[in-house]
Amino acid sequence: MNTFPGESASWEGVDAYFTWASSSGMLVLFTLVTACICLGVIIAAARHETEVADSNK
Amino acid sequence: MTLEELNVFVTTQANVGMEAYYWWCTGLMIIIHVGFLMYEVGATRMKNAVSSGVKNLLAFAFMIPTFWLFGWWIYLAFPGGFVPIDLEGYGVPWNVSMGPMLSDQATGVFWAAFTLFACTTASIFSGAVIERIRISAFAFLAVILGSVVWILAASWGWHPDGWLVTRFGFHDVAAAGCVHTVAGLFAFGVLLNLGPRVGKYNDDGSANELEGHSLVLSFIGLLTLIVGFFGFLGACLIWAGSDLGGWVNIYGAPATLSSFAFNTLMGLSGGMIGAFWWSKGNPFWMMSGGLAGIFICAGGLDIWYPGFAFILGTIAGCVIIPANNWLHNTFKIDDCVGAVSIHGVCGILGMLSVGLFASGFPAAGDIPPSNLMGQIIGTVTMALTGFIPGYVISYIMKMAGWLRVPDHIQEAGIDKSELELQAYNQ
Repeated sequence: MNTFPGESASWEGVDAYFTWASSSGMLVLFTLVTACICLGVIIAAARHETEVADSNK
Repeated sequence: MTLEELNVFVTTQANVGMEAYYWWCTGLMIIIHVGFLMYEVGATRMKNAVSSGVKNLLAFAFMIPTFWLFGWWIYLAFPGGFVPIDLEGYGVPWNVSMGPMLSDQATGVFWAAFTLFACTTASIFSGAVIERIRISAFAFLAVILGSVVWILAASWGWHPDGWLVTRFGFHDVAAAGCVHTVAGLFAFGVLLNLGPRVGKYNDDGSANELEGHSLVLSFIGLLTLIVGFFGFLGACLIWAGSDLGGWVNIYGAPATLSSFAFNTLMGLSGGMIGAFWWSKGNPFWMMSGGLAGIFICAGGLDIWYPGFAFILGTIAGCVIIPANNWLHNTFKIDDCVGAVSIHGVCGILGMLSVGLFASGFPAAGDIPPSNLMGQIIGTVTMALTGFIPGYVISYIMKMAGWLRVPDHIQEAGIDKSELELQAYNQ
């Protein structure tokens, strides 16, 4: 496994070769952030629609 | 070159070829979304043209991260039903398998192709609900359909280990069921709760034609969509690489891209000609008939005789118009683009056609041959898997006041009210 940033700077024995591949905590963190962005944008859009509907009555 | 070096060379080339094939199929499938966008914007009245386009873009944008988050895992984990199998971490987003790996050239491109299948499924639903669904509600329902519902159905009936396949010999190589039927019936369930656009029906029950603002845009969109479907259908075949020496269908049985070429084109032309005849030359239905002709052939796209694919296509072209009229008259829905009829009805007919006319075709390994009972069970499963979540979830959203654009905003136009934009300078 190789990862960046990290100690290894070689392709020797590499399989997963993406950023933070050796840090499961970081992968979980990015997963959660991705999910939150998706959900948050839908909620924000719904609020905007409700405000527009109320202000245009 | 030694035998071992030759083996490495052949395997490497096969893997690179496989990657490249699905990469370009994925790119071609994006053209489906160009087509859907133009089609739906053209079918929309001018005051809602921008919001219709935004909705299409969102269906595409939200499907990609959510299919990475859970869609791909659902496909792999649920072939047995509702209980996930242990994949030892494969397919979940925090596992290294969902990122670039030198030992795995397949996952990324297959995930990408399936993600575009998901985008397509969500976009099928999109056209039915234009001009009165809340954009946020649409995005949420699109995620439910594209990253959960259809892919669960695919795991059951479009996967070599799916229970519909291994127990009943269900045969649906190009996703007439899990994509078209599921999307069409999901849309039907939502339409029942969403209600028609303001002004669609009069008090006496008679309907008004709310014509889109650009028939030309819809024409080009529909034809573009057909181009993109060649990427979709191409990606339905599995490049088995050096292991098996060629193409197999998604269930592992021998197949050829030629069979797809024959039957896609013959179904397409049959659908266009059938709809031209039935509609007395209505160009909207002609183009939709072409699509319906492909979808009715999709279940057995690998095994039809091309002449029969043409006949099936012609039937689809003739069926979609009365089916659409019946749905509107009976349920008072407002399916703006005929999605329930074109995708739902023709998907169902496509699956049943395999049982009626192609029973007994051998499958791979221990999978039973295609048979009528298996196709009936598969059809009912796909229809319910689409309809029930579409109806139930949209009902809950309706009760929560999070489904429909209020009537006064519809009358003013969503573009101006919500987006502060206009598609055209008047």
